[in-house]
Amino acid sequence: MPPSRDEIIAIISEEARIDEAKLTSDVTLASLDIASLDVVSVLFAIEDKYGVEIPVEAVNPAQTLGQFVDGILAKVSAV
Amino acid sequence: MTIRVAVTGMGCISGLGQGTAQTWARAAGGRSAIAPFGLPRNEDARTTGPAAPIGDVDDSGVTARFDRRAIGQLDPLSRYALIAATEAVGEAGLIDDPVLDRRTAIIIGCGSGGNTTFETAYRRLYERGQNRVHPQTIPAAMISAPASQIAMLFGVHGPAMTIASACASSAHAMGEAMHMIRAGRAEVAITGGAEACLTLGSWVAWASLGAMASDTCRPFSIDRQGLVLGEGAAILVLEAWEHAIARRAIIHGELIGYGASTDAAHITAPDQAGIEAAIRAAHADAALALDVPVLISSHGTGTRLNDATEARALKAIYGAALAESLVIATKSAHGHLIGGSGALEFLLGLKALQAGLAPPVCHHLGRDPECEVPLALAPTPIGYDHLVSNSFAFGGLNAVLIGRRA
Repeated sequence: MPPSRDEIIAIISEEARIDEAKLTSDVTLASLDIASLDVVSVLFAIEDKYGVEIPVEAVNPAQTLGQFVDGILAKVSAV
Repeated sequence: MTIRVAVTGMGCISGLGQGTAQTWARAAGGRSAIAPFGLPRNEDARTTGPAAPIGDVDDSGVTARFDRRAIGQLDPLSRYALIAATEAVGEAGLIDDPVLDRRTAIIIGCGSGGNTTFETAYRRLYERGQNRVHPQTIPAAMISAPASQIAMLFGVHGPAMTIASACASSAHAMGEAMHMIRAGRAEVAITGGAEACLTLGSWVAWASLGAMASDTCRPFSIDRQGLVLGEGAAILVLEAWEHAIARRAIIHGELIGYGASTDAAHITAPDQAGIEAAIRAAHADAALALDVPVLISSHGTGTRLNDATEARALKAIYGAALAESLVIATKSAHGHLIGGSGALEFLLGLKALQAGLAPPVCHHLGRDPECEVPLALAPTPIGYDHLVSNSFAFGGLNAVLIGRRA
């Protein structure tokens, strides 16, 4: 079963150490002040959990969180 | 004049629970954390056997204190060490105390590094054919990570390091920390040890040695099969006696002796002469006569070789006086914490002196003629003032600590 948006958000919250309440779809990654290392941690956690590979280059700080999650869900669903 | 070394803080986490109070209550009541266990964790088990794993962990006391971006990723090894250290330093009343800045040392014993982190990385490389591993793999898994992270947590700028001597790591760490205080190099030492080795790779390697029991840990018992792995950490705050008195700290006990020796004989087999040398050296350091009845916290792994050799050494050293002492073996309750064992066993031994109660050896089936030592087979009232805590590591590295009731 593919993961829900909430599961992805929970991983982002855990790995990037950001309160889930702040993780709304319309904020950009840049505005969340997610360090690049934290983005990597999020991607590794998702890769290890769902067996996908997501290159860090695919992540753009101007993306909204919603777009970021959509991209992850697309990868995970394609497995 | 020798500087006396007080124990002013204690913290621990293991399969027995989180926190000294809960851990002691369960050990004293004869509860054992050893249960059927499967690896890898949270997946279909590829291997099963007895172990003493940690269940739920409350690390809110740790996360409230630090900037996770600075401290980095935490392997379970560091998470356990930080939880125990937070309890110990907090209980000592030293959080934010100026002594932590320059006059405190950190010496932590670990047998191996962050097994979980390394194995997660290796699974990516070897199992899934991926070519990248997490950029925090090295800093999270290095064996010195707990020492660094404890320093960050409490703002300690004095000497900090990890000592590795397999199953004796934390006993060596505590002994060397005691000497740093005696030498005047530090007023306070945050010391003890940690291990987080309940991973598939570590487990299979231990199993291949033939040292692991398939049923449970039965120290000094007939039909004992071997050791059972546990995990966790125990951290103690050691403090120069006068410093502790001056700030009216609660003193739980005193670390009065440390003996270390090396067998230089065999990479896995224990050696009676090496064991005896460490115990005798500890008594000499503590100026404690061999005929004074004591509580002996044995190394007591439950392997055929260790327990028989340790029993012979105890009889050779103490002779007829051994009958007035009592031997405990708490690995039967919390499993073998490898690098963390020596500190957890010293902590529980000191609690036993304080409480006047010896925790029972669990899972004992009957006397083994090769292991005729006076065992606490039920919770037993005691009136000893002294604890002799033994740790004998693979590779023949031995460390014995002697504690005194405050």
